[in-house]
Amino acid sequence: MRIRLYGRLGDVIGREIELAAAEVTVGDIRRSLAASHAAAAATLGRSRAFIGDCFVTDDRTVGDAESIEFLPPVSGG
Amino acid sequence: MSVVALLEPQALDPQLELAELTEAARGDGAVVTFVGLARPESGEGNAVDAIVLDHHPTLTRQSLEAIAVACAERFDVSHVRVVHRCGTVPAGEPIVFAGAASLHRRPAFEAADYLIDRLKTEAVFWKREVGDDGSNWVEPTEGDFADRDRWG
Repeated sequence: MRIRLYGRLGDVIGREIELAAAEVTVGDIRRSLAASHAAAAATLGRSRAFIGDCFVTDDRTVGDAESIEFLPPVSGG
Repeated sequence: MSVVALLEPQALDPQLELAELTEAARGDGAVVTFVGLARPESGEGNAVDAIVLDHHPTLTRQSLEAIAVACAERFDVSHVRVVHRCGTVPAGEPIVFAGAASLHRRPAFEAADYLIDRLKTEAVFWKREVGDDGSNWVEPTEGDFADRDRWG
């Protein structure tokens, strides 16, 4: 699956990465990324997950052909 | 009534935006605007050369539009105009223009205040200060959230 990351997450992990995984949950992906990128763990914990055109919760199963995005807290102005 | 919400990848000219809003506001009695500038110094006192605004391909525009529409529905205003930069904004240059026009002054003042409070905390951007000491991601402060919470 393709994972897109924004803000600080993009800096630490990369703007776009591929993860070979089947039938994992959003929470699994979040924990996996946090384990492999300790500097992003705190921000990952405060980030929202987005698939298609919807925000999703951590129990959502993500198919290998899907794309998921993680959005850290936003700041405009 | 007009509601304009724009994502601007190039330089933002507040004078042009004011001219557009004033032109739309013919017949009104008030135009109130807020212009946010890229500060040359971080909250920690470090020199900042530029602000870099990361954005989302769909959610950023949607967030600007949602805030502008909510403003138009909430206040007795005739026109709302929001223009927000993305990309690299050198220190001292405008990041955001938020303005409203109304028949009398009070709704326009309140609308501009509301716009920037929501933009600071809800517009979908990720903001990074770049200076001599590297770069630093910036999130809204407790004060920013308190300002937004005034509006319920």
